[in-house]
Amino acid sequence: MWLRFGVIVLCIWAVGLAAWGIVQWFEIQRWAIGEQRTFQNVMAGALRGIQAGDPQAVWTLCSATAAYGFFHALGPGHGKVLIGGAALASGATLKRLSILTVLSSLAQAATAILLVGSLSFLLQIGSADLADLTETWLAPASYVAVAAIGAILIFRGVRSWHKINQSKQVTHGCCGHAHGPSVDDVATLTTTRDAVALIASIAIRPCTGALFVLVIAARFDAFAVGCLAVITMGLGTAAFNLTVATSGVVAWRLAGLGARNHHGVQAISAMLHLTGGVMIIAISIVMLLPYLR
Amino acid sequence: MELKYPVSDKFCGLICLVMCLGGPVKAHPHVFVDARTGFIFDADGQLETISISWTYDEFTTLILFESLNLDQDGDGQFNDTDRAAIIEGETNWDSAYKGDVYLEFAGQDYPLGRPEAAAVTLNNNQVEVSFDLPLSQPIRIETAPVFLRLYDPFFYYAYTIVPPTDPTDLPEDCQAQIVPFEPNAADSALQDKLAALGREDMPAVGNVGRLFSDEVQLTCG
Repeated sequence: MWLRFGVIVLCIWAVGLAAWGIVQWFEIQRWAIGEQRTFQNVMAGALRGIQAGDPQAVWTLCSATAAYGFFHALGPGHGKVLIGGAALASGATLKRLSILTVLSSLAQAATAILLVGSLSFLLQIGSADLADLTETWLAPASYVAVAAIGAILIFRGVRSWHKINQSKQVTHGCCGHAHGPSVDDVATLTTTRDAVALIASIAIRPCTGALFVLVIAARFDAFAVGCLAVITMGLGTAAFNLTVATSGVVAWRLAGLGARNHHGVQAISAMLHLTGGVMIIAISIVMLLPYLR
Repeated sequence: MELKYPVSDKFCGLICLVMCLGGPVKAHPHVFVDARTGFIFDADGQLETISISWTYDEFTTLILFESLNLDQDGDGQFNDTDRAAIIEGETNWDSAYKGDVYLEFAGQDYPLGRPEAAAVTLNNNQVEVSFDLPLSQPIRIETAPVFLRLYDPFFYYAYTIVPPTDPTDLPEDCQAQIVPFEPNAADSALQDKLAALGREDMPAVGNVGRLFSDEVQLTCG
């Protein structure tokens, strides 16, 4: 048993590392960063247009923020790590994951709107302090929350693994009545609680770019337009993150092909919880490292 | 048992290395800077001062307007108060920060002083900040080239070195050449680092950033 799952885990990591080696990440990143720069400038032009009262500028701004959200999401971020890892671990349907992805991006936009709406308007906190607040407190808080979800996934994997082994021992003495854990016992993201935890851990940290759009829009007395632009930015981000969620679902299905029976599905599910959890924790710790120094 | 492999030091090292070495892969740049550099020599032909100018993207310029509350009269021009606020914010940095400017001489980071002669302009909706950084001691450049690199180790700022608009005069036998960041070079440096992964120590982030930066190579003689 152990050997087989060891092989599965190794395969997942090997595919990941091979993708790292083969794909021209540098070129893709460079291209994405160049596009981001372009759309950032278009956003600036549109914001100046809004200040000048150009009615077309609203649509230019919203298209630019949507594109910005998409290209900005091409870099590795906490949301993608969590959604990818959870997709790998949970075996949730693509539809469910898609809804979660869109909701978490929209929730992230809502955080930005709330932050700027409350702190900037009521307390007159400037954009530099808002960005500081985000980078100093909200970013690490989000990584800790993401890591905690990774830990829960590992816990669930270990627990169901333990149950599988227990049920095997019981089987020997009890006429073949196997009462192993059902797949539902380990399944993740099936409850509202899980979904809220996932969305919240992503939404704690708003995108700095979104904060800036809102703050500039507020300065130009166009906060409502800023909110609209930040929502389309969230949808752009979600569009990219959907590809990550899809990859996670596909990986789960592929791993599931190795299972011959009910026991196998449980064991693979347990193993994928471990893998997804370890992946999420490892990457969130790396993201936390700069804050620990 | 299974976890032993994933959480081993070597593995953490690998993850860390992949993420840290990622440089451009690692993070999201928010601020785009077109940087221009110049080398100023003293009368004895020694390198005395580095001149730097940062031209911020249009979006960052708008953020500067907001965060420093610039152009309160709304005429679209900077007055002396605006310029002073920008210079204070951009060049009066705390001593831990090195201005994202790194000069390599004889294989070592060469210490630079604090910004002098700072100036600010606004062209095409972009703020440009320029200043000089004196070398702690002037250096004579003979056989080995000097490298000037501009990078933010956290890649929040993305610097692109562009040719100077009015190049400073270099001594006759010296020339400065911009060497843009080349992904393949970084790739092979990455391979070297991976090969040396046996050691437990984590790579120093600051030293890794340079793998991914544009540089200016100054050679004399």
